[in-house]
Order: sequence, then structure tokens, then C-alpha cells
Amino acid sequence: MSADSALTDGAISARGVIHDRGYRRYEGPRLGRVQIIRALLWHSFRSAFGIGRGAKAKILPVIAVVAICLPAIINAVAVANGGSQVVGYESYLFALRVIVLTVFVAVQAPEMVSRDLRSRVLPLYFSRPMRRGDYPLAKYLAFTAACVILVDLPLVLLYLGTIASSKSGGIWPNTRGLLGGLAIGLMWAVLVSAIALALASLTGRRAYATGVVAIFFFLTFILSQIIQQIAGQGRGQFISPQTVPAGQRLAGLISPFNTLQGLTKWFSGVRVFHPGEGPVPDPGSYAPAYIVMFVVLLAASFAILAVRYRKAGVA
Amino acid sequence: MTTGPGPQGGGSGGDGTEGAVIETQALTKRYPGDVIALDGLAVSVAPGITGLIGANGAGKSTLIKILLGLLEPTKGRASVFGIDCEKDGERIRTLIGYMPEHDCLPPDVTATEFVTHMGRMSGLPATAAKERAAESLRHVGLHEERYRLIGTYSTGMKQRVKLAQALVGDPRLMLLDEPTNGLDPAGRGAMLDLISRIGTEFGISVVVASHLLGEIERICDHIVAIEAGRLLRADTITSFTGASRMLRVEVDEGLAALADELARRGLSPRRQQRALLVPLADDATYDVLRDAVADLRAPLSRLELSRHSVEELFRDSDLTEVADVR
Repeated sequence: MSADSALTDGAISARGVIHDRGYRRYEGPRLGRVQIIRALLWHSFRSAFGIGRGAKAKILPVIAVVAICLPAIINAVAVANGGSQVVGYESYLFALRVIVLTVFVAVQAPEMVSRDLRSRVLPLYFSRPMRRGDYPLAKYLAFTAACVILVDLPLVLLYLGTIASSKSGGIWPNTRGLLGGLAIGLMWAVLVSAIALALASLTGRRAYATGVVAIFFFLTFILSQIIQQIAGQGRGQFISPQTVPAGQRLAGLISPFNTLQGLTKWFSGVRVFHPGEGPVPDPGSYAPAYIVMFVVLLAASFAILAVRYRKAGVA
Repeated sequence: MTTGPGPQGGGSGGDGTEGAVIETQALTKRYPGDVIALDGLAVSVAPGITGLIGANGAGKSTLIKILLGLLEPTKGRASVFGIDCEKDGERIRTLIGYMPEHDCLPPDVTATEFVTHMGRMSGLPATAAKERAAESLRHVGLHEERYRLIGTYSTGMKQRVKLAQALVGDPRLMLLDEPTNGLDPAGRGAMLDLISRIGTEFGISVVVASHLLGEIERICDHIVAIEAGRLLRADTITSFTGASRMLRVEVDEGLAALADELARRGLSPRRQQRALLVPLADDATYDVLRDAVADLRAPLSRLELSRHSVEELFRDSDLTEVADVR
């Protein structure tokens, strides 16, 4: 090799490291803080679906996406064959959305934050040109985007399948329904991802984090449902919006999912209450309480994340 | 001092304060509960490889966090390349590569993926991050194994990945916190060689925090010793060792006679086990020694220039506490 003649540095040739091409400085462009956050966001978004990770990491995200999209596809096919659209755009299939979202965030929120806590990699992030809040911010935006995909993708599929059919009932009503549904989906993702990340960030142990997130969402959901049923005992299948008692209207506040469902009904103007389809009646005049609850849950989640990462960076 | 490449003007970006890489003035950090980690520390670190020596709890890690701009000092100020750590930590962090003392690697990704991602986080564009990750891993000697999951690595390999992620962003200064922790003697030697190369061939200034004095000595240009958050001593290695160069003389027999003879000729030999240590004043000392050995017909078996270990030097200057940490 011509290495020793080319290099004047005696140390290299003396040691005879022939495959050593020496150190090269980096002279190219450097990204600013915002672009670094964007890179972290993209990296985290991909990992929420197991992309860039092993095959095992992809199993659950794939199951979740397939499970939540299947009814949309089936319904779209049915519409094409002369059936009617039974799945709505507002909150899609509420029970399915609750189950799939709970499982997804319980497994993937720890993937987002607990891994880095567990392997103590955070000091490496914080020793780079970003600020303390940038890490949780990027993680939150990435996870919210992942949840939006999960919640809104079936709506888009449903829409495309429906308008492709001649019996769709017109493009405009469907488009309006879709846009409303997408916005509501965003509202769901914003809150659910915040709560899940905040809970998952409390522990570096992945199994615990999954347990905490799953139990929180399921427990509050079931409690809310029980109280709602107690408050509404002795009523028939179809209840007119005027006769729903206050206790039943307020029971939804106990669970984030039911809070979201209450807001969904309020926004979308679904006034008729079918106890079988979703547990929460339209909040009616209690809507401000639902809005307050939404804001409180979101603020509390952000506060937990902020405190968590102020500490974790220095430790 | 950096040889070869010399002090790069580009690195300090115009506001280079006469070569000082790190400067602190009356730097004090008090934690809640009145724990004093740094107590009026004033130190100036020149380019090259600097050993930051101190016992556990002496304030090394606190100093590193302040330099990275992650911790606010209670009093005083610190700067890196003339940039204030408290005010402009973000900019400083583009210039520093940091290797923490503790484990900080995810086990379930490959070294390439991890170092590439950390390169992105240092502000490298995607392609550059990939290239530099491969290069950094090659520099630390992990070229072949770079596609293996980090979880399958030995401790020594993990330390190398930690070093590679600090190197990937092409820093001007590397802060290495106890880089030889958990390594066996061979691994320590290899790690120190690597750090020495980074400091000399790569032209990157390095601060190595360690509680192992003897280990650091071999690769450092400067030593900064701190204890209980205060500066104990800061100097160049050469000024330490240069002041007390010793000749080590071994003879197969007649050590006592030689000692007497040397003393008679005006030298002051000191016995150390089966050898004599003779302070080396100038070249004349060699002549005196040669003549003494020749006149006594002493069977000389070894004559070498012996450098005091840093520990001994510290001990000589009443720095026993630090030295005893080993």
C-alpha cells in the first residue's frame, strides 16, 4: 500500500496500519435545531409502526391497522354491491376504535419513550444541539401523527370505497362527513397520545409502562360505563335527548375515551342516543365540562412530560 | 499540545481566546441540601489531551454537565472555545462530543443504526450521518461487527460504540467521562490508544475524566486535578515529569556499594527495591554514573530513564487523598 508514503504522519506508518485512511473532518452543512427535531420526529414516527426495527416490532402495528381498517373495507365493498353505508364518519366504530387504540398506545407508547429511559440514552440527546423540551415535543408529535393514521386511515378508505360506488349518495355529503370525521380523529389522537406518552414516561420498564397505560384506559372506560348504566337504569333502548339524566350525561367525563365520544357527539350533532352503540349520550348543556376535561387531561399530560424530561436530562 | 494539524482557527469560529479550550472562573455549583459539587473552580484547559483527575464525587461530572450547558452554575462562569456555557449551550453542544460514564446504549439496534441516528441528532444530513457513522465505527475498530445488535456486544465493544457516537458529529472537543470503566487491562490499553489517536492524529481536543491517575498519564498532555470541587493542581505532563526525571540503575550485585560511591561523587541516589533512582540534573550525571560503575566494576544490568508516575508526583506534593483513591 502506498499509505506510508502518502502520509507524513510518522505514527501511522510506524504502526503499519495499512487500511487506515486517516481522520476526515466534516465540512458539509449542519442542520439547525428545528431540522434535528424533524429528524427525531420522523425517526420516532417510523418506529411507532415498527419501521426500521425488527420484524417482531411490526406485528402489533400491522394487526392494529388491519383490524381497524377491515370494517371500512367490508362496508365499502358492501356499498359497491348495493348495500348501504352502516359505518359512520363521526367516530367510526366506537368500540373498535377504543379497543384498537388502547392496545396500540399501550404497546407503542413505551416503544416511544420507555426504551430511551431504560437504556439511559437521554443524556446523549441532551448533549446535542437541542433544548430540553425538544425531545418530548418530537416524541409527542410523532406519536400523535401515528395515532392520526390509525384513527383516520379507515375513514379515508371508507370514503374512497363509498364514492367509487354509484350508489354512494353523492360526493359532497360524503366529503363533508369525511372532513368532520378526520378533524374528530385528530382530536382523539391529540389527547390519547398525550396521555399514553405521559403514563409511559413514568417508567423505563416496558412491561410496566404497557400495563399502566392499558389499565388506565380500560379501567376508566369501564368505570364510566358502569356509572353511566346505573344513572340511566330503567330506560328503554331509544332515549330521546331531553330525557337523559344529568348523571348519565356526566359519567362520560370519567374516561378519556368517553370524554372524546361525548365531544364527538356534541360536535357532530348526533342527538339520538343508542345505548348499544356507544356508552355516552350527547353531553348537551354539559358540553363545557367535557371541553374543560379535555383541556385538563391534555395539560396534565404535558406537565408530566415536562417535569419528567427536566429531571431525566441531568441525571 | 496538538502537533501536526495545529490549533485550528476554524474550530473556534473567530472568537478563540488564545487557544484556551475550556475556561472557568470561580465556578460554583451547590445542589439542594447544601451539597457543594464545585467550589470556586478556576481552570484553563489548553488544546490537546487533558486528564481531569479526581475521586468520585470530586465534581468531575458536574463540571462536564456545566460545560455542556445542561446545568446552571450557582456562581461563576464557564466557557468552551470562548462561548459562554450558560448563555449559549446549544451552540457549544454543536462543538462537543460527549461520552457518559454510564451505560447509554439501546440493546436492540445495530451499532450502525444507532451511531447514524446519533449523527442525525448532531445535525448531520441523512447521507452524511450514514457515512460518518461507518467511518466513526471504523476508527474505533468496530468495522466488521457494525451490523450486529449492540446487545450482543462485549463491554469493550460497547465502550467503543459510546466513543463512536461522540465522534460522529466531528466535534472540536470531546468530553469523555471515565472511558475505561469496566474494561480489562488490555481493553483499557486499547481504549487509551484510541483516545490518544483522537487527540493527536485527529486533531480533536479531548478531556478525559478519570479517577485512575496512573492510567491517564500515558496519553495526556495536561493534567487538571480537582478535589471537593476545587482545583488541586493543573499543569503539563512534561512540567510534572521534567522537573523530576530519574535514572533507574540496576546492578546484579553490589547495590549498596554503588549507592555509596554515587553519593561520594555528589549524586543523591535513592534505593527503590532492587534498583537505585538517581536524579538526572544534566548530561554530566550520565558520565558520573558511568565512571562510578566502571570504577567499581559493578555488573550493570539496566540503566533507564524513569518517569515518575503522576501518582507519585501528587504524593510528593501532599496530594495523597487523590492518589489514594485507586
